[in-house]
Amino acid sequence: MEVNRVECAKFCKDKDGRVSDRKQNLPQLYRFCFLMLGDARKAQEVFNTTLREAAVHAAQGELPKEPFWLFREARWRCLEASKTGLQPETLEIEEHDIAPQAASQIEQLEPAQLAIWISAAPDPQRTALALFYLDEFDYLEILDIAELKLRTLSRYLAQGRRQLQAWLDAKHSGEPKV
Amino acid sequence: MRTLGLLRRRRALLNCAPISQNHMADRSMRSAVLREDGSDEFVNQQNFDRALAELVRLVPIPPESAEWFSENEVIRAPRRRWRKIVLNPAVLAISIALLVIAGVFAFHLVGQLNDFPGSATARKLLTVAGSTRSVMLDPVSAEAGTLSDLFFMKHGLEHYDVPDEFADFQTIGCRVFDDDESQRIAQIWVGEKRMQFFLFPAERDTKTGAVLAFPGWRYVHQEGWVGAVTEHNGVCFMAALRGRQKDLEPYLKAKE
Repeated sequence: MEVNRVECAKFCKDKDGRVSDRKQNLPQLYRFCFLMLGDARKAQEVFNTTLREAAVHAAQGELPKEPFWLFREARWRCLEASKTGLQPETLEIEEHDIAPQAASQIEQLEPAQLAIWISAAPDPQRTALALFYLDEFDYLEILDIAELKLRTLSRYLAQGRRQLQAWLDAKHSGEPKV
Repeated sequence: MRTLGLLRRRRALLNCAPISQNHMADRSMRSAVLREDGSDEFVNQQNFDRALAELVRLVPIPPESAEWFSENEVIRAPRRRWRKIVLNPAVLAISIALLVIAGVFAFHLVGQLNDFPGSATARKLLTVAGSTRSVMLDPVSAEAGTLSDLFFMKHGLEHYDVPDEFADFQTIGCRVFDDDESQRIAQIWVGEKRMQFFLFPAERDTKTGAVLAFPGWRYVHQEGWVGAVTEHNGVCFMAALRGRQKDLEPYLKAKE
């Protein structure tokens, strides 16, 4: 483990503490795993495994050259990991227009609640929402990582907002409506 | 139909509008956001997204995962190293293009620095010198300095004098001809190093008609020929030979 950590330090950061690949921001990578899985323990597991694997590749000099490869790796691990747990039911989810007071409704949420909500979304909407709300990538980068087309990403995000608004409204009115 | 497509694309872009301004690099996205900026629907969407992004930033990092990176170090996208920047094909191409432009500019600048009134004619006459055969000239065996009388008497050319530096040279032949600008040119062939002399009218100011004089000797080069030019009394004299400037310099220094 210690060796792996040392190797990882080699591939992850240069002497200035920067990651050697573009936009491989490690705290954001962890948050991405958390949003994808909605579970801190699982997120930590995927995060650690992803970095450990990357360290091994780094030691062998086989690091991928394409950008965002850590996020890609983590995404597939998250999807694999989520297959093993309880699966959300497929339900018709209500949709509401975004309300002006939505921001104040969101302020009352816990990060874990949002993560659970996002992780319950079917993929690739889940990946789209997680990557978008990380506020780490622009839309072209999200299209690249999630392997989506603009229209699809747009539909997932718009739908996600409306569904989340309906959930927020239900939460605040005290009765979940699904 | 095309407008509908554009509207759909703009709508799609707006749905993906970035939360932070620093993700606004894409031009089409900037344009879509600018058009929609201020509408209630878009403002609500942006406030909604910002609140969610703020919430995501609050996701705590477990200490075990935080071991992978130091909390004190903010891991940012790396700055491009200078070597990487220099080796970028686009930067390389631009640098080479700029170097070529700078080279051409410097070449022209140096060329212009060496220019003097009459240098264009002098260069043309060097080309003439290169293509002249001795049979084309009237045979004249005399000292070059004495030919000014011949030019005046026979052709009416005033002040077509060979400078003292070259006056003692023995001539083989001479001729007078008009160049493509109808200027009267006197050409003398001497035995010394198959040298040729040219006498031609000095350049004049187009407005005032005054002679554009220049002091001393100036050098011109053309197609392997070198010429030393001086101006006196509105007439330029050029001594030309096939070779380099250093081949002509001793003749000018000798007199000095």
